[in-house]
This record gives sequence, C-alpha cells and structure tokens, in this order.
Amino acid sequence: MIKKPLAGIIDISINNILSIKRALEYVGFDVVIINEYRNIEEFDLIVLPGVGAFHEAMKKLKNTKLIKSIEQALEKNKNFLAICLGMQLLFEESEEFGLTRGISFFEGKVESFKKYNVEKKTFIGWNKVNFQTKNKLIKNPSIENDLSNSAFYFVHSYFAKCKNKDIEVGISLNGKLNFPSIIKKNKVVAFQFHPEKSGKSGLLLLKNILITS
Amino acid sequence: MIKRIIARLDIKNNFLVKGMHLEGLRILGYPELFAKKYFDENIDEIVFQDIVASLYKRNQLSSLTNKITKNIFTPITVGGGIRNINDIKEILINGADRVSINTAAVNDKKFINDSVRVFGSSTITITVETLKIGEKYKVYTDSGRTDTNLDTFEWIKEIQDMGVGEIILTSINNEGTGKGFDLNLYEKASKLCKIPLLAHGGTRDSEDVYKLFVNTDIDGAVIASAFHFNYYKELLNKKEISLQGSTNFLINQSSKNMFFLGIDKLKKYLKSKNINIR
Repeated sequence: MIKKPLAGIIDISINNILSIKRALEYVGFDVVIINEYRNIEEFDLIVLPGVGAFHEAMKKLKNTKLIKSIEQALEKNKNFLAICLGMQLLFEESEEFGLTRGISFFEGKVESFKKYNVEKKTFIGWNKVNFQTKNKLIKNPSIENDLSNSAFYFVHSYFAKCKNKDIEVGISLNGKLNFPSIIKKNKVVAFQFHPEKSGKSGLLLLKNILITS
Repeated sequence: MIKRIIARLDIKNNFLVKGMHLEGLRILGYPELFAKKYFDENIDEIVFQDIVASLYKRNQLSSLTNKITKNIFTPITVGGGIRNINDIKEILINGADRVSINTAAVNDKKFINDSVRVFGSSTITITVETLKIGEKYKVYTDSGRTDTNLDTFEWIKEIQDMGVGEIILTSINNEGTGKGFDLNLYEKASKLCKIPLLAHGGTRDSEDVYKLFVNTDIDGAVIASAFHFNYYKELLNKKEISLQGSTNFLINQSSKNMFFLGIDKLKKYLKSKNINIR
C-alpha cells in the first residue's frame, strides 16, 4: 500500500475544522489534528485554518505554544496552507480590536473593509479570483481557466495588504477595492476564502496545489 | 455580488420531509442522498432545518450534521431547536458553518447577543417565518405554529441590531405551494435590511427566481419542494426507491401541486438572463 502524505491541522478554534479535514482526506492526505505544541518534522503539510477574531487566535496560539509549531514549519520551509483568519495571522499586524501583532511571515497588515469603498463591509458569499500572470499559482492553463471562471466562498470583514505585491497570486474585488485572495511565498500558500467550502472548484484548487506541486 | 441559490432540507426524525405552509409533512428519503446530489449540481449552499426540534425541545442535530456534511464541500447552515451556546458549538464541530435560529431568537435575545460574541456575526443566521393576515405580516415560531404578535418588518430591524450575519425570511403563505415568491414582502424587507437577506417560499420554476432577483435586492433564493420533487422523480424513474419514502405522496398529488426544477437548469436560465450566478 502506498503511504499517503500526512497533513497536520493546527486547531485553535471552536468552529468548523471538520470540513478542512475532510477536504484534505478527499484530495489524498492522512490528517492529524494538532491542538498543542508538537514537533512537526513528520508532517508533509501543515495547515493553519481559522474562523473568529485575530487577537483571540493569537492569544490561543501563544497559550498552547502552537505558535512554536507554526514558526518551526515556516523556518524549515514545510509545505504550508493557511486559510481565512489563518492567512491573516501570518501578517505583521491586524487592526481588529486595536492593533495586534501577528506571526510576521508576510510583510504587511490586515485592515477592516469599513474604511474603504466596498460593496459589503462583511462579505459572506461567492466571489471570483483573478489569477495573476506574473507569478503563476496554477501551471496547467486549462485548470487555471476553469478556476478563473469559477467562484470561491468568502466570509470576512478584514483583508490583507501586502507590502510586496509579487506574492499576491490571486486578486479579488469587493466593490472598488482590490485585495489579495491568494498569497504564495516560498512553500506557503494562503487563501482568504475557504477552498474546503468552495464546491468542486475548491477541491480542484486544493488538489492542484497540494498534490501536483 | 453573486446571487446565491440555496437548497433547504427539512428534517424530521432523520428523514427529509416536505409539506406545505410548513405543515402536512411527507417523507421523501435520506437527506444525505439529496444533499450529495445538490452538491454535485453546484448548489451554492445548503440549509438543514429540523422542523420539529423546537416543539419537542430536543436536539439530535449534531450527529445528523456530521453524517450529512461528510461528502459535501459547500457552506452548510443547520437549524432547529438551538437554545444555547453548547448546541451551537456541537453543530459547528460536526461540520456546519453556520446555525440558524428562530424560536430562541424571539424568546431569548441575550442568547443571540452571546452567540454573536462567541462565534462571530457570520456564524449566526436568524430565520423569520412570516404569515400574511390581511395586509399585515406577522412573525411565527415553532415552524409556523406559534403566533408571536411581532410585526415582521419591525422584527427584521430589531434582528439587525443584534449583529447577526444574515436573515432567512420564509413566507408561510407561499411555502410549499409553488405559487412564486411574495415579491411585495421581499421588496419591502430587502429595502430595510442592511445585512444579507434570503427569500424562502414559493419557487415553482426558474422564472419565479428570476423575478425575485430583478424586482428585489434579495441576496439569495432558498428552494425546497421544486428541487426535492425533481430529484425524487428522477429516482422514481430509475426505480431507485430504496428511499423509505411514500411514493404515494407524489403519485397521489394532482399535477398542479407538483413542480420540478433542477439546479443546473435554474442556473443556466438565470445566467442567460444576465443574473450574476456562480
């Protein structure tokens, strides 16, 4: 029997992480839930999901020492997937409930939609992703085309502002505001949306970046 | 913003059921089977509602949630008899993304405030069941059984102030009848609602949904009977009725009470009419 790759999901929230577990299993991983510090050496992929508030999540990551597992994974250049709040946590700071320091893997900060000319201050629903040509996330043109014509499921009222625009591999639009919906730096891929909740397109995207790379 | 097409599955004793005006329930089959079909057809979201849970003050939703969300990678809302923070937690860790609350929202407003604080706005949906009596729209709870004496539009304003993520507004008069959406209700409600508002009750065909989207600012259409009957018919034709359903239900209905709509067909129609659809 061929051994499946092993994914570890960092569990910091009381919300739904079962879906991301099932989506990873669907695309071919064995999955372990990590809810306190452990050595991440054995994992082929570390996943940082997240729903909820930035400062609460950072507090929890520090209290559980899970932050050390994450930092280790990033230092050792592990395959790393961050979703929604998980993506935001990788920035330097967020203005959610006053300024909170983040993990600082991506340069830039997380801001509220409130100050901007957007259609929805809290965006719940489906939105398109404009895959960038300069730094390509999806190598296969026909899959990229499929995904460009599709939509993904977003739930957020904060968005990230990258200092280095080159790491923004997917851009989405809320009203007149462009924001990064997919970021890729080294072996870290971060989504503002929920690929595990984005129907068949979400699964296709996960499979493409996790299995073929 | 992309308009959402949402399937609603009413659950009783772990079976998918469907009636009219939230009453007269018949068993159609296993909910997980229908949910999987809708996922395969690119539904934008699925709402599961245990329609007798709040009456009997019981909650078996978490194990059912776990089962029905197994192969479904689309947003899931689960409701029915949710009364406390722990109920919500159980449902979320078993695979749902949001919960919908009706009866408890009317009876215990502090509970809604607490839920929003603990789980975030986007996790909490309020379901409003409204019955039109004369020219008045009144709010009902317990799946259309209990009159609250609240005015629907006043109640919608109040709900928004609780900080919840969105509202599903069900027309009890139209629900299960296939006579189209109550456009007057949804036009008025969407004008005063700043958070996403979803319409439920009355879909017979694609035209009904088109009319809803061009005439109102509603964010999504919640559809039950038309989708369920369509798939049920498909299963009947394939003689795949291991469904535990009462086949007599459909056979005995006069043809005017039956209506069939496929998700694919609906989405194609709306796209052809330039509605922003996934």
